[in-house]
Amino acid sequence: MTANPTAESRLLNFIPYMSVAAFFIGWQLIVSLGLVPKMLLAAPLDVLRLFIDKLTQAHPDGALLYVHVLVSLQEAVLGYFLALAIGIPLGLLMGWFHTVEGFARPIFEMIRPIPAVAWIPLTIFWFGIGLSGKVFIIWLSGIVPCVINSFVGVTLTNPTSIQMARTYGASKWRIFRTICIPSALPMVFGALQMALAACWTTLVAAELIAANTGLGFLITMGRRLTMPDMVVLGMILVGLTGFIIGVIIDAVEKKLLAGIRR
Amino acid sequence: MTSQTKTLASLPNRTQPSQRLAALVHSIIGSRYFLYTLSIAIFLSIWELAAVNKVLGNFLPRPVDVLIQLWSLNTEPLASKTLFEHLWASIYRVLIGWAIGVIFAVPLGIFMGLNPYVRAIVKPVFDLLKPMPPISWISLSILWFGLGEESKVFIIAIGSFVPCILNSYNGIRLIDPALYDAARMLGASRRQEILEVGFFASAPAIFAGLQISLSIAWSCVLAAELVGSRSGMGFIIILGMNQSAPSLIIAGMVVIAITACLISVVMGRLENMICPWKRELPQ
Repeated sequence: MTANPTAESRLLNFIPYMSVAAFFIGWQLIVSLGLVPKMLLAAPLDVLRLFIDKLTQAHPDGALLYVHVLVSLQEAVLGYFLALAIGIPLGLLMGWFHTVEGFARPIFEMIRPIPAVAWIPLTIFWFGIGLSGKVFIIWLSGIVPCVINSFVGVTLTNPTSIQMARTYGASKWRIFRTICIPSALPMVFGALQMALAACWTTLVAAELIAANTGLGFLITMGRRLTMPDMVVLGMILVGLTGFIIGVIIDAVEKKLLAGIRR
Repeated sequence: MTSQTKTLASLPNRTQPSQRLAALVHSIIGSRYFLYTLSIAIFLSIWELAAVNKVLGNFLPRPVDVLIQLWSLNTEPLASKTLFEHLWASIYRVLIGWAIGVIFAVPLGIFMGLNPYVRAIVKPVFDLLKPMPPISWISLSILWFGLGEESKVFIIAIGSFVPCILNSYNGIRLIDPALYDAARMLGASRRQEILEVGFFASAPAIFAGLQISLSIAWSCVLAAELVGSRSGMGFIIILGMNQSAPSLIIAGMVVIAITACLISVVMGRLENMICPWKRELPQ
């Protein structure tokens, strides 16, 4: 197409760095040139300065930065693993046993369409504003993809394998254990990533309403104190932490999948 | 299990009547809809028992109370709006924010898929912003736009933006190259390739993006209304919290759930109408 493909591809490899640099420089310039009042948007350098400050001092929101991150991580990880521990077995059993499906499905379908955010007020009544309430909300949002994926994974089991096992006289439980679960595993692993995204998104919502530490709280506090640098710092940390956990889960998922295929 | 009992029930009359009756009872008990009904009944009765015995203190109303509350929301206005006016306030925000998000995101995603230069410019910045949950933008949008309608619309637009752009981009990018080759072999121009192959082949993916972003928009509007508003479904449940009226909260949640269900049903129908050539992909 183009006369010199290497030059074109070199340009295309180079543009992303330019674009990110332009984004940050543009952002910095908008603020430093006073096009946007400092009350509304913090320049990237301010955010960086606040980041360095917050590493060592608890002022003005009452906790060091790593405390906020750890608290948020603790809530999210607890909710996430509870969602996996309950959601995946439930989904698998729902996929194979009619009775479990018959009992669990209507209740699941009733709860599923309610966004996790809508549970916040009720959760505050039931659990207070402590750790358990936030874990509950995060759990609710994480369990949905777990159940759906495991359920679909089991129902997509190749019927020929099931019939063959039946012909050889395998019991229903044995077919479930040795055929349905292994064949559902790729979809179950797919749920790891989806549930994580759901949990991490909900975390901010859970901390938005009631909290005294955590990244979501940092964002809310930044707004109350009209410190846009703190808001942006909180957002960046939420995004960054979520991204890092996502990469870890992705690596775990690949490893697990490779284990199956072998 | 059920398949065995079914064959038993359909056997010719060689079995005893009592056995047939047993098989019939068994097939009813084993039937899916019977179990569904039973499950809902058990759920409601556990709820009722828990509420009457005050397992969760005064914060779990009886199911009947929720129904009464729903009815009174209809007849007596709350903050000078009835239930449907609140619901409409939320839906109105969702529609505006979603439309704004879609109008920007879909063309951008399509251009990213079609043109390597646009992709190289937009994708890195998009990847920087993508991992931030839309709800984390609430504080910034309140700083920027105040507590009015604009801040809510902004969050909804941000929330709908990400899945739309991702799906349009991937929808265009992952088109089977054989389709393009076939069109090109028949002498199609680049323009025809895009309009007559690319558009139709990516439409299901783009539409899926619209669906996902609409459901995200629905939870964004609730979050925005929880933080501060004078109308909408989020306002109803936060009012229930401030007045310590759990029946009001649950009534609000019921309406929210029903609306979410309706949205997904309507979008599913629309999808079948707009792109009937969509094939169900094995996930």
